This record gives sequence, structure tokens and C-alpha cells, in this order.
Amino acid sequence: MSREDVFQKVMGIIKPFVKNEEVFQQADESTNILQDLKVNSARLVDIILNFEDEFDVEVEDEDADSVNTVGDAVSLIMEKLTV
Amino acid sequence: MTELPLQFRCGLAAQREVGRVLGIIWIIPIAWLMRFFMKYRIKDVKDLRRRYRKLISETQAPILICPNHLTMVDSAVIAWALGGSWWYLFRYARMPWNIPEYNNFSFLWVLGLGAWITKCIPVVRGGSREDVSRVIKKIDYLLRKGDTALIFAEAGRSRTGKVQVDNHAQAVGRIMTTVPECQALCVYMRGDQQDTWSTAPKRGDSIYLDFEVFKPQSTFSGMRRSRDVAQQVVAHIADMEGRYFASRK
Repeated sequence: MSREDVFQKVMGIIKPFVKNEEVFQQADESTNILQDLKVNSARLVDIILNFEDEFDVEVEDEDADSVNTVGDAVSLIMEKLTV
Repeated sequence: MTELPLQFRCGLAAQREVGRVLGIIWIIPIAWLMRFFMKYRIKDVKDLRRRYRKLISETQAPILICPNHLTMVDSAVIAWALGGSWWYLFRYARMPWNIPEYNNFSFLWVLGLGAWITKCIPVVRGGSREDVSRVIKKIDYLLRKGDTALIFAEAGRSRTGKVQVDNHAQAVGRIMTTVPECQALCVYMRGDQQDTWSTAPKRGDSIYLDFEVFKPQSTFSGMRRSRDVAQQVVAHIADMEGRYFASRK
């Protein structure tokens, strides 16, 4: 799966939790999930668990600590997919 | 979980020891403030403290206090209710560490200093994941060392006035799953005049408080396991709340 494919799927998973639609429309890999998209921090766990289901990977709490931006999420999934 | 860096371990040790030395000038006054100025009364406080002290004396397992969350002073009221004030001077490790929101006191350095002395480890809610993780690792380390910590089972004060089972604090599950033998001390607290969330219980309120030790089990792994455990803890507190209201009918 290409990085672009993962990015598109990640955006699809994040979308229902986004409170700032305007920023979401122009989001790229540098967009911060909590601060820019205004996703509730408690919901970040749901998002990452949805990544697990979508990409069939397992994410540990410590892995999730590195996820701040959309690009971080994409990188984490790419890393898990190649293991 | 990776080991806590040396500078954080030294920082926590310094924080603990300064707080311990100054204990007499903050533990007793805060307790008196609640008792004589705010005129709070804890129902069946003697029995409550007897049960808590018995639990502490009989267990070697790490204890994470997980209360419901209705006011900004819940952690102080709970610590006072469970241990009294003098008791903590001689069992300082049992004075729970707290993780208050940094922005609640960061605007005044005196408040920051006060929070540091009173065993607070500030966290910016919704802040960077690394910062939140660092705070969780500190609590993890302290529990393994035999200290007690308090983390609200709900991620914020309940806007409905009742335990919000769908708004759990993931940190509770994460700590419970990484600290060996860790037990959740589920606490349900509510003042008679506490209809919904507020800054503090009303002056003169009579406060009900009960606790139960809870050891969640989960068949999941990874983050799902942490979430499952956190959800079980908050569900247990909701069950305690249900019994509380049922007993008042």
C-alpha cells in the first residue's frame, strides 16, 4: 500500500471526529490532529483503534505517543505494515 | 514501559521530600480549611478511614485511586476523607500524587509552587502526546515505588452530574496494564447538595464517599486492552453510583 493510499484512509478515519472542517479540507501530513483539526484528545484513542481495524495492525500505547500529526499517523501505520 | 530518565526520578524525589518536610504547613491547613471554613462533613468518616487504613496495611500492591469527577477540589476532599490529615504526616507516600490541568494554575507562579509542593504533576489536557506520556510514566514509576496516585476515571468533570461511562480516561487503563499487580481503588463521592458539576462542593455540604478495590481483567492486547480496562473502571464507579442512588430512595 502506498503512502498516499494510507494517507487517504487515515483522513477518512479521522473525518468523523474532526471539529474544524475548514482546516480538514486543506489538511496535509503536517496538520496536527488535536490542535488543528480540534479532535477531542479522548477520541484520539478511538481513531487509533480504528486504524488497527482498517489496516489490521496492533498499536501499543507507547507507539501512539508519537502520533501528533496526520503524517505521524501515516508513518506509524506504514511502519506497522512493513513489520 | 521504558525506564523513567534519571532527571525525572531525581525531580520526583526532590518534590516528594520537600513536600514531606513542609507537610505540616500544608496538609493540616488544607484539612482545616475544608473542615472549619468550608464546613464539609464526610459521612461515616471514622469507618471510612478505618477501612482505608486496614486496606493499606494489608496490601503491598500499588494502589491507583480512581474517583468520579464533579468538582475541582475532589482530589483534596478524597485524600482528606480517606486518610485524615495527621496520618499522612507519618505515611507521606500515601498522600496521593495528582495530575491537575496545568492551565488551571500556570498563570501565577505561587500556585505552581503550591502545586509542586502538594504532590501535583501538571498535565496539559489535549497537549502533545509526548508530554502526556511523560506524565503517565512518572505516575507509573511512583506507583512501582510504593506511592499512591489519584487519576479521575472520567476524562473531565461530568457535565451531566452522573458518571459518564463513555468518557473514560485512557491513562487509567494504561497505568493499570503496565504496573504489575496494580489495583484500582474505585471511589464514588457526592455531596448531598451536589446536583451537577461545579468548582467545589457547597459550603457546609455533607459528603458521601465510598470505595471498593477493583481488579479489571481483559483478554485484549495493546491500546485496546488499556481502553477495556479504563472502561471497566469507570463502569464499576457508575455501578457504585447506581447503588448510591438506589439506597437513597
